[in-house]
Amino acid sequence: MSAAVSYGALLDAVRGVHWQARRAVTGAPAGTHHSKQRGTSAEFTEYRLYRQGDDPRRIDWKLLARSDRAYIRLATDRAVLPTTIVIDASASMAFPVATRAKWQMAREIAIGLAAVVHADGDPVGVAVHAARGTMRILPPRTRRGVVSEIARVIETADPGGTESLASTIVAVRSPRIAIITDLLGDADDLLRAARVHIVAGGEVHLVHVIAREEIEPPRRALLAADPEQPALQRILTDTTRRGYDDAFGEWRSEMARVWRASGAAYITVITDEPAPHAVRRIAEPASFGAQRS
Amino acid sequence: MTWLLPSALGIAAAAAIVAVVLHFIARSRPVAEPLPTARFIPERPVHARARAIALTDVPLLLLRVAALMAIGLAVAGPIVGSRGRVARVVLADRSRSVANPSDVRDSARVYLGSRDQLIVFDSAARRASGAGALDSLSTGSARGSLSAALAAAIASAATGLAQADSIEVVFVSPFAAEELDDATMKIRDTWPGHIRVVSVRASSASPPPARVEVSAATNDAVDAGLSLLGVKGQDASIRVVRGRMTAADTAWVRDGQRVLVHWPAGPTDAEWMPRGEIDAIGAVTADGATLVARFPRAWVLQGNTIARWADGEPAAVEHAVGSGCIRDVGILIDQASDVTLRAPFRHFVQGLLAPCGGARNVAPMNPAAVQRLSGKDGLAPASALRDSSSVASRWTPWLLALGAALLVAELALRRSNPARSIA
Repeated sequence: MSAAVSYGALLDAVRGVHWQARRAVTGAPAGTHHSKQRGTSAEFTEYRLYRQGDDPRRIDWKLLARSDRAYIRLATDRAVLPTTIVIDASASMAFPVATRAKWQMAREIAIGLAAVVHADGDPVGVAVHAARGTMRILPPRTRRGVVSEIARVIETADPGGTESLASTIVAVRSPRIAIITDLLGDADDLLRAARVHIVAGGEVHLVHVIAREEIEPPRRALLAADPEQPALQRILTDTTRRGYDDAFGEWRSEMARVWRASGAAYITVITDEPAPHAVRRIAEPASFGAQRS
Repeated sequence: MTWLLPSALGIAAAAAIVAVVLHFIARSRPVAEPLPTARFIPERPVHARARAIALTDVPLLLLRVAALMAIGLAVAGPIVGSRGRVARVVLADRSRSVANPSDVRDSARVYLGSRDQLIVFDSAARRASGAGALDSLSTGSARGSLSAALAAAIASAATGLAQADSIEVVFVSPFAAEELDDATMKIRDTWPGHIRVVSVRASSASPPPARVEVSAATNDAVDAGLSLLGVKGQDASIRVVRGRMTAADTAWVRDGQRVLVHWPAGPTDAEWMPRGEIDAIGAVTADGATLVARFPRAWVLQGNTIARWADGEPAAVEHAVGSGCIRDVGILIDQASDVTLRAPFRHFVQGLLAPCGGARNVAPMNPAAVQRLSGKDGLAPASALRDSSSVASRWTPWLLALGAALLVAELALRRSNPARSIA
């Protein structure tokens, strides 16, 4: 079954959504995003006095005739923004065990964002740990059918293990990286790698996926075990629930703060939120009044 | 149905109650459930106490209780008896007191069924089995012992007839006085029921005193004592040899029911096992008569004891030879003493000169003693005789297997749902 069929409703829902670059894009083929370069497109920007070395063909001859000064006609260039979507496929993403809601949400967001990027004419790729821990990276492409390719790559992945996301970020060369994760793995290393990417001029969008069951665990007493650290087992009872709520809330706030401070776009997605809505919040945060760094 | 160990039922019931109570109050280590954000839960001990008003996990509880009860029943050992069946232990006398063994055979055959037990006895009792056991019964020269027969009957009934409902002991004997001893009635009192007493004809009265011939040196002290007893004569059936025995002496004993008393006059007259250290003792007794004097002890004797020293060690023993017997008398008499001339010696020596197997007393037993032997109670219940250490219930292995199967099922049920508590 093709991705268009599997995710038909999602793709329909995100049609018309645009995901603009957060800053002007440096040197890239013509596209939809504002470029830092000034070129010769039809979209006039300003005149500049001719300087030695400029291409004489760009001199506005009519203005020269009127003013007897040589001006160069400048126009804003449009550039493409290659985007790679990095999906966290660690064991913690397969929660809750029965529904795998976090993994489902991560997949749908990835497909939705890929469709949005592709519709904008930008190259889009994906990086995910497939089964048995092997890394699958699909480089950003603009060709037709790339969304289906991305869907197939994602379908081959099975959350499990404790593979590092930071190394994936380092391996990905795209200017824009969207990371879909629960931040319960190598969060510090991931933040460090993201900072490096941002400092180098790239964009990082962090989609923090949280299960509703993590925010509101069952009211009964249970012995909770971390799927990525089986030895870590804690009793969740009425007496420890308040401490859990406080600690988890503080951690989420801290994650939002540090990621935004690093220059990344940080968005929290709860698993009971419709995926198209989450995609819109990620791509067009301004229309939702969300905070942007 | 009876039980070998009824207390096990109580213990099993108590354990089942404990299991039920534990299902009300379950202290368990909960089964771990994945929660990726578990690290944010404050650390606490991982044991939790959960109290439930209702029974938790009824199928698991039922399995546990069933397993406990099955094991309890297995340990208790149910005995499912044949209701109303009376088993018999027939005691057939083959001692010298019986006049005609066919009387014993006929009487025993009346009571002996195919599933009953036959015990033949004289001085010792043994269980006889097989179709021809009763037909081949014959009498011997040994004295009968009712005590030995009773003890064998009780042991046999306790181990071999546990499946019966009641047990009856049938005593086929002439009930001669010599067959009764001090232990007989004490053993009888341990039998919890009536004993059917079937009397048969006793053998004729004791034969007249046998004649004794003595082979001794001149002026032998024992010879002198026997002369005073007035039993010496020709064609004797008892021979007293006061020196070394010869092959002719042995042949003489073997030919008939004769008694040869080998009574050495000195330490060199016998090849018996010498004592490590020769000592002396002050008395010797035989058949109730005691001879008091200073006797050196030169040998260690082994055999059927007929006389004992004051400390209980055998002083004279008897060995069967053919149809007769040889008696080794290790009592060294001082030839210079007059001990053999006194009356105690005459009483004492009669025990040594008795027929093989001891003196015969075929006089009938006191009727009161026979009546007491019979008793007045009804049949003995088999349950009163069972020895739980030797009787096994045939249900026990099956019940143990059932208990094991239930425990395996309990394990499987618990593993099928990890959330089930471990009480």
